[in-house]
Amino acid sequence: MFNPIVFNEKTCTGCNNCVDICLMEILEANPKKGKPPLVKYPDECAYDGACWMRCPQREKGAIRIVPPLPMRVSILRGEKP
Amino acid sequence: MKPDIEVIPIETDVLVIGGGLAGCMAGIKASEYGVKVTIAEKANTLSSGCAGTGVDHSWAYIPPIHEKMGWTIDDLIEDHTQLIARGFINKGLLRLVASENYNRMLDLEKFGIKIRFEDSKIPGKFRIVYQFHSLPSSFNFDGRDLKVKLTLEAKKRGVNIVNRVMMVALLITDGQISGALGISTNNGHLYSFRAKTVVMSTGRANRLTPNVTGIWGNHRIPVNETGDGRAMACRAGIPVINMEFLSSGYYSIGNYELNLGSPRNTVQPAAAVTGPNGEVIVPRTRFYDWDNLGKEKVDARISRQKMLSGNRNPRPSYEQLKQQGEGPFYLDLTGGTEEEIKYIEWSIRNEGKGSLFLDYLKNQEGFDFRKDKLEWLPNSREMAGTASSGLVVNNDLETELKGLFGAGDDVGGVPWAGAPGAFVMGWRAGEKAAKEARQQKNFLPADAGQIESIKKLCSGILQSKEGQHWREIELAVQNAVDYYAGDIRAGNTLRRGIERLNDIKKNTSFRAENPHELMRCLEVQSIIDNAEMVLNASLERQESRRAPFGFIRADFPEQDDAKWLAFLSLKRNEGKFEFSRIPIRQ
Repeated sequence: MFNPIVFNEKTCTGCNNCVDICLMEILEANPKKGKPPLVKYPDECAYDGACWMRCPQREKGAIRIVPPLPMRVSILRGEKP
Repeated sequence: MKPDIEVIPIETDVLVIGGGLAGCMAGIKASEYGVKVTIAEKANTLSSGCAGTGVDHSWAYIPPIHEKMGWTIDDLIEDHTQLIARGFINKGLLRLVASENYNRMLDLEKFGIKIRFEDSKIPGKFRIVYQFHSLPSSFNFDGRDLKVKLTLEAKKRGVNIVNRVMMVALLITDGQISGALGISTNNGHLYSFRAKTVVMSTGRANRLTPNVTGIWGNHRIPVNETGDGRAMACRAGIPVINMEFLSSGYYSIGNYELNLGSPRNTVQPAAAVTGPNGEVIVPRTRFYDWDNLGKEKVDARISRQKMLSGNRNPRPSYEQLKQQGEGPFYLDLTGGTEEEIKYIEWSIRNEGKGSLFLDYLKNQEGFDFRKDKLEWLPNSREMAGTASSGLVVNNDLETELKGLFGAGDDVGGVPWAGAPGAFVMGWRAGEKAAKEARQQKNFLPADAGQIESIKKLCSGILQSKEGQHWREIELAVQNAVDYYAGDIRAGNTLRRGIERLNDIKKNTSFRAENPHELMRCLEVQSIIDNAEMVLNASLERQESRRAPFGFIRADFPEQDDAKWLAFLSLKRNEGKFEFSRIPIRQ
């Protein structure tokens, strides 16, 4: 239903650190070695960010967490200070 | 999935159930006494518990600072008792946490956590901010990787960490703890731990009501914390206190309760809460004037009285304001100095889901604290005050069951013990459990019947073709709790709520396709047990106790200290609850 975690095939090395660490056990190692994990239970994401924090390729954008629309913040935009 | 459940036997002198802050501290400390220590953790100790992705604050009596202020340990205890708990606290445990947490912070430093900062003006180079008390008493620190550091320290000391095992039952032999049973969430094996002593530290009871956005995982507290410890205690007939204090909806930012200077929260300098035209509803707070430290002695009694008189006329809740046509409300840090904004960003990055949130806020939303405001919205209900509800323990963290200890948020009677409670109680429970285990020569025989009954339960769920998906049952329970144990409760509706919950239980038949789903089913079983305690305790407490728990009975609208300044204890005996009151010593 939701798509909370987006992997970048180009920069993810398939190390599966995120699979090991996920609090909610929503990820599964890809049967193809070196490929990004599969998001097996996307509806059980806790949006805590542990997978993203521990990703060694984070700076290269290997993993991105996208909150679903109802969870996005409501912002009152101001003028430039 | 083959329904045959393999039994994995493990012997350990000390078993710690739950590897959050308290459990890791218990394991680390217990390892100093030459005993075999095992931590059983449902997820992975690297990321589990309320501080799984960081905690940035921890209150304590800090001698090098507070002595200069003329503020004593008794002042801190009185502040916490009166300002935070309104007298509703176990003072012995509070004293333990208040006086020991400074030492635990120094221990965390030894484990590699940065608690001193070059730019600090404070003795010890600490960063200290206001939180609960009339003076600044909370360390701010680089706690983002705390769980990683604690896990490494535990492993270094030879603690055996068993991840991905959800504990479901305590083993009791001749009135004494003899171990516990858990199910592997990877392969469905049954882990049969035999232990001389057990520390229960599974954490809070979450997911008791629906969340507000419809996104299942969208609760403030990690959603895999389902009160498993209280549920296990309840099933084993061990008393649990204060389960009626399920508090009404918090306000926060989506699911992200951030400590982003939410004014009732922990980080200073805080943002203001403002209305649609910038009118201030809750003013900002700022850094303490550290240049003034030691120049004048504070009068703790007067500052406490000042705060208390403010608290006696509390402002209406955001929900009440909204019903009066006020709102929307915004967290507003516009006008903050660069120093304040940098500090807040650092603090968010080290706390809970803050690291991810800050990245999302900046990179996906293009948010700028200098000009933009964040709307402050309702969140789901929670058990109030972290360690206000939970196991009954003495000052050595012992429960009434010989060999069973409690720690952290699994302990009741210490509202808002939070991380300090986890550090101190975990440490003390680890020490006491190890010392007691050392006294005991042999393991007690495990009850084969109990092992068989858990095997049967789990294989039944895995073999079921007709049963329900766990979410269906969870939602039914959540809806019942939300309606019958809502903001204002009453005897008639609570009695009906208990009947409804019994109906749900009768119509419940779990089905799981694999061990992962089995874990979710067992979590929902914990939620059912917790919900049952919430409803029954709510019916039993015949008074209202607004502050600090927001417990309101329409049929008993007054606070009744003569009868109810007491922890309400529930104990399940042959399917029925027995209640007793534990008076609170002032």
